[in-house]
Amino acid sequence: MKLTNGDEGVMELAAPFDMSQPAISRHIKVLEAAGLVTRHRQGTHRMCRLAPDALGEIEPWLDIIADRYRSNYNRLDAVLETMKPSHQGDD
Amino acid sequence: MPPLQLMLEGDADVVVTRQFKAPPENVYRAHLEPELICQWMASWPGWTMPVCETDSREGGAFRFEFDGGEEGAFTTTGEYITLTPSSLIVHVERMHMPDPAPDSHCHTTFEASETGTLLTLRMSLPDAETRQGMMDMGIADGMELSYSKLDEIAS
Repeated sequence: MKLTNGDEGVMELAAPFDMSQPAISRHIKVLEAAGLVTRHRQGTHRMCRLAPDALGEIEPWLDIIADRYRSNYNRLDAVLETMKPSHQGDD
Repeated sequence: MPPLQLMLEGDADVVVTRQFKAPPENVYRAHLEPELICQWMASWPGWTMPVCETDSREGGAFRFEFDGGEEGAFTTTGEYITLTPSSLIVHVERMHMPDPAPDSHCHTTFEASETGTLLTLRMSLPDAETRQGMMDMGIADGMELSYSKLDEIAS
């Protein structure tokens, strides 16, 4: 899940694990073959990035949620307008 | 009114914040009383809530049925876990597709603010497989269609 924060160098990804760099590279190749990460070079560093669809298309889902609540709460504003300022002591 | 804010926390939690002009007790009530809920929760033009039932006690259940005619229909059921008047609603809910999807956990706070009420809704996203299932059954398409209509009406 380190990659959710953005690009990471291969060495940084390997740091928390008790594994050699070649072993980490083999793991990353497996993830790349599975379509979960992409690799690119940045200067002399090899970088990894999460593939856009790796987490099951969260972005369109977030758009749906934002649209839904934006629309819901705009209607709720109108409902609240019809309520008295305070109902304490009413009824 | 400041616009709605949405933040992703980790890869499974969504936090929505929104300001309202009304005081917390009214915003809270509008989330629990069926005759108020049914006026705003079916957010898409042409959609209605033929069933809107709440047993607003801790441990009580609720059932919301949404009907969009040709665009489809779905049901959400859930239970209230914590209810602190004018302040906090904690509940679980699930969509029925028609088999029940995994539970989503929702935590809604109502805080008095300068303008009225700051609402903060923290909820767990359904897992990737469930999200895909919901999109496959056309809910996403139906919503998109509805929002296009809303744009037409609003412009």
